[in-house]
Amino acid sequence: MFEDVKMPEGMSPEVLEHLMYPKNYGKLETPNGVGVALDEKTKEYVIFYIILDESIIKDVKFATNGCQDTVVIGSMFTDMIMNNDLEYANGAIQKMNDKLGNTSAQQQVCADIVFSAFTASLQNYKNIQNGLDEELHLFKMKESCEVVGEENENKNG
Amino acid sequence: MKTKMDKLYQEKHELWLHITYASFAIEDEAIKSRLYEFSLIAFRHMKWLGSEVLEDGGNFNYDRSMQLIKHDTSFEIIHELEEKILHIQANYKDNILAQRIKTDDIYLLEYLRQVMASEFNNQTITAFNMKREWMDKKLAQDQIDALTLFLLEESYKEYELILVYNYMQARTENALHFNVFQDLIDESHFHLKSFGNMMAKLGILVLPRELHEMTYIVKDFQRFIVDGIAEEEAAKIMCKELSDAIKDEELSKFFDFINYQESYHIELMKKLLK
Repeated sequence: MFEDVKMPEGMSPEVLEHLMYPKNYGKLETPNGVGVALDEKTKEYVIFYIILDESIIKDVKFATNGCQDTVVIGSMFTDMIMNNDLEYANGAIQKMNDKLGNTSAQQQVCADIVFSAFTASLQNYKNIQNGLDEELHLFKMKESCEVVGEENENKNG
Repeated sequence: MKTKMDKLYQEKHELWLHITYASFAIEDEAIKSRLYEFSLIAFRHMKWLGSEVLEDGGNFNYDRSMQLIKHDTSFEIIHELEEKILHIQANYKDNILAQRIKTDDIYLLEYLRQVMASEFNNQTITAFNMKREWMDKKLAQDQIDALTLFLLEESYKEYELILVYNYMQARTENALHFNVFQDLIDESHFHLKSFGNMMAKLGILVLPRELHEMTYIVKDFQRFIVDGIAEEEAAKIMCKELSDAIKDEELSKFFDFINYQESYHIELMKKLLK
């Protein structure tokens, strides 16, 4: 099912394409779920907009002020989950996390913030369905990109 | 629902980017330089229109709906630019500011026609060819990759800084802050121009991604500046790493020069904390 899951490894033509022209980047005018994941230390955020029809993700967009890994992972992930169901999306997160086990800690933090924003958008969708008046759902990140960067520097130093 | 002024502001923002990126894409130094001057004029138009929106009790944002078409020749770029300039004319109001902007636009159209009067000016565009070659220099692939990543990341950051400081400058009543914002905007224009021209030389010219309002609507100013200083520090490290990685004296010296400029930005930003 997930044989085609690809990770941003090095500067392949595919990664360059996602970097230069991120897929599904921006805002949706009429989303029914909006989620934000925020790294309070660096103020890096990812915001996800979704239109969910039953369990099908009919439309999705994201935006971020984050680094290039965040942009590439957000672009790849939204491309994968568009027009798929939530089961597929959760499977994609799991698969991408497995693959990220082989990459840098910083890339894992970038992936976490992307996936957390998506999960927050689902929570917002659920909350609205349950009658809550919530503009967006916010998750604050436990791991900070800054801390991971410092740890890496210390290890390398 | 966008008002007429919101729409005009967005179109002016897009026109500023179109002129700026046309300047980056065209290789002829005289045309490049002239277009860049016009792009700075267009940015001032945008700034003045933003002030007008605020004076009228409105608000402006940085939404965009534009694409950078990968043209093959200078004239294709100039033709598109002409169309954009002509399109925006109908949206200007009838006041002194609009008159000023219209006469600037009309002169830019005249300049573009002068350029197109000579077929000699219709040169091939290589800014979008994706070759990722640095002119006659033989950089190793990992150096080209590092340079690519740096230019894509930093061109976005400079665009972000220009717009964020512009947003704050339009709203401050503090003269010191206004001046510091202006200095920082001017510095980022220079950096964006430098990086944009380098992206074009590499054949990877691309627009910076759009800014979300969470990036430019600042709720905690002090915190924003402290974080901004940390970001400048990070940019300095990136510059230093790139300067060390690129085994080319000319390029290394350029990144050292940018690095020292970032140091002074930090001093400028500290003034905002007083």
